[in-house]
Amino acid sequence: MKKIENKRYERLSANSQKRLVIESDNVLHELQNESEDKITGLDYFYDVAGKFARGQLSAQEKKKYIATNCVQVPIELIYAADAIPIRICSGAYSMSQAGDGLLPAKSCSLVSATFGAIYTNSFPVDQEILSIITPTTCDQKKKLSEIPTGIDQPFYTLELPPAKDSEEAREYWYRSVKKFKRKLEKITGNRISRRRLKGAILKVAKAQQAFRNFHQLRKEQTIISGTNAILVANTFFYDDIESWTRHLNDLISELKQRSDRDQTVVENNNPRLLLTGSPSIFPNLKLPIMIEKMGGTIVVDEFCSSNRLLYDTVAVDEWNMYDMIPALADRYLKACTCPCFTPNPDRERKLLAYIKDFQVEGVVYQSFSGCQLYELESLRISRLLEEANIPMLYVETDYSPDDKGQLATRTEAFIESLKTNQHN
Amino acid sequence: MNKLQKHINNSNISKFRLVFQILAFLLLIYGGYLSIDLGTSIPTFACPYNQECPGTCYLISAQHQVHNTWASLFGFRGKALLAGLLSFVLLFLILNKAWCGYICPLGTIQDWITKLRNRIGVSFSRYDDLSFKRLKTIKYVLLVLLLIIPLGMSNSIFGLPLLSHDLSAPFCQICPGRIITPLFVGDASQLFVDFTNATTMFMSSLGIIVLALFIVGSIFKKRFFCFFCPMSALHFLFSKIALLRLNKNGENCTKCGNCYRVCDVGIKAIAEDIDHSYIVKDDCMMCLKCIEACPENDCLKASFLTLPVFESTEEGFFSRNLHLDHEMQKPSQKVIEDEKD
Repeated sequence: MKKIENKRYERLSANSQKRLVIESDNVLHELQNESEDKITGLDYFYDVAGKFARGQLSAQEKKKYIATNCVQVPIELIYAADAIPIRICSGAYSMSQAGDGLLPAKSCSLVSATFGAIYTNSFPVDQEILSIITPTTCDQKKKLSEIPTGIDQPFYTLELPPAKDSEEAREYWYRSVKKFKRKLEKITGNRISRRRLKGAILKVAKAQQAFRNFHQLRKEQTIISGTNAILVANTFFYDDIESWTRHLNDLISELKQRSDRDQTVVENNNPRLLLTGSPSIFPNLKLPIMIEKMGGTIVVDEFCSSNRLLYDTVAVDEWNMYDMIPALADRYLKACTCPCFTPNPDRERKLLAYIKDFQVEGVVYQSFSGCQLYELESLRISRLLEEANIPMLYVETDYSPDDKGQLATRTEAFIESLKTNQHN
Repeated sequence: MNKLQKHINNSNISKFRLVFQILAFLLLIYGGYLSIDLGTSIPTFACPYNQECPGTCYLISAQHQVHNTWASLFGFRGKALLAGLLSFVLLFLILNKAWCGYICPLGTIQDWITKLRNRIGVSFSRYDDLSFKRLKTIKYVLLVLLLIIPLGMSNSIFGLPLLSHDLSAPFCQICPGRIITPLFVGDASQLFVDFTNATTMFMSSLGIIVLALFIVGSIFKKRFFCFFCPMSALHFLFSKIALLRLNKNGENCTKCGNCYRVCDVGIKAIAEDIDHSYIVKDDCMMCLKCIEACPENDCLKASFLTLPVFESTEEGFFSRNLHLDHEMQKPSQKVIEDEKD
């Protein structure tokens, strides 16, 4: 009996991995052939995404890898412990199918996909993962580590407060981060020294600077499709940070040159859209691809897998351990607009600021079915946008391709109505 | 002009402040050797107990000027009081609370102690919200006392008997500046307990206790004394109309809290207040570190009249931070030090 089960598990694992490769290749193929006028700087990012699906991110290097969930894990600490963080929040339909069987019926696709990837051991690197760090964000994510599967995975729960403005929350989070630092030192066997942590903070700051430049550039001109921009940011958590930063800087200079030549890939008259809600993580780019195919341009997104990922900075006053760690902790808490925080007016303010800065004409709000937090916050956001007179399309979807037809109709209608608004 | 502005916004104002503070310190401690006279209404701790101080702290003048009977205060003594106040206000308005952050010698000494502590690698502490709110009222109490006590020496307040003249200039008696600043010119004569009578004994011992608190406190808490400083309270009465201003554009604030993190006096409003444009609070010393730590364009801004002085920019934030990275790349003495720990 045991043997049959083992065989079944192995088959599931192998199949899911194979299907993930097909899925990701399909998406990449679609993106690469999106227009005739190719941006060469994007090739690297496609390449990384492809490698991610094949689990080949680290083929040559022997390094220590730490898997992370959600955007609140202080990656600087992981770098300082001389390990590589890899975020495993998954966008793979194949993985969500693998996870579905073990989770309650109404789990959100992202969680079941992440769980599926953990369960089938389908990590983007072909090396041992030392630990899987899960912050206590949403109920489904934090309970992942407690699902009985018979397979032991090295979970670590990083305690995150449910609020972020109070003094108590900050204090709690500081202690939690300090504990995490000690845990990292233990599992990697490397001491996090003052100098190493400073180096890691500055290394991430360089990536942030590049990312912010990219963000500013998109403010001025629509020189890259929103889907590609989402993928570019997304690959941050797949590759070596320094190489990612270098390639992003190259991409920025290429985009600048193109804009000087007025060589844009994006129709300038398309309605300008903001995409927010449950994050579209590669290869689940179903909605952004659909929107842009239907004639809308995503000028900016508010996803924890792209714009929320790198924007917030670390400000250290005294470069000693006692100040660096709270500074780091603050970066992940104070400005974070994750709906797991209550109250969360900062998300509303951020959306309004994006709408103003990027001259957004309409908002598309994605909720994965079962993703309670984004579903709940959509109520406030839709009220807010109504007051601001910005049309919003609420889309409830998941990773399956079944609703593509329905999505196409709805997004097309929405975009058409925005175009009519433009003419009036 | 734009280029210059960009250069300034990218610069490290804390380094500029460090140099400026040293120069101001030299002027206010040793200026007397050059026979400089800056008048008697200086809006910061320029302490004449130090013989070489080129001016007089306005708190001394104020305490002496109100030390009069009501009758004379409404006569020509009152005019002297008004003239003193007017010149204090005029001087103050130019620099606003930057008098504390850039010029005050006691502030500078505390900053040096902070630097030393940082070097050694000892952590600092912060007040929690509640203590912050409670303790910040002390400076107003001190301000009221330092004005009422001299009045009570010449007039009977609420029918009480006149106060002893040994309480003359009561704040100076407990101010650490009276003892510390003369030490820098080699004069330790203020470090004593006056055994003349109970009042003098009490006041002079209190002065030494406050001095000890000043030194010990500023090791553990940045700008420990400033939080209780009555000069700071007096400043704040006029701060809203000052020429040097610190403004915040709440729309561009992401509430990341960077500004509050680096604030030496721990003003939370700088991060949380997104409704008010003028953001100078009573404890603020306008060191402008908050602007340095702000990564948003056009969010925090210091200006003189309408002229921008220093603004928060994304570019500036990263250029200051990544400058540290270049320093780290350089092999230096530091590396060897770090290898050890």
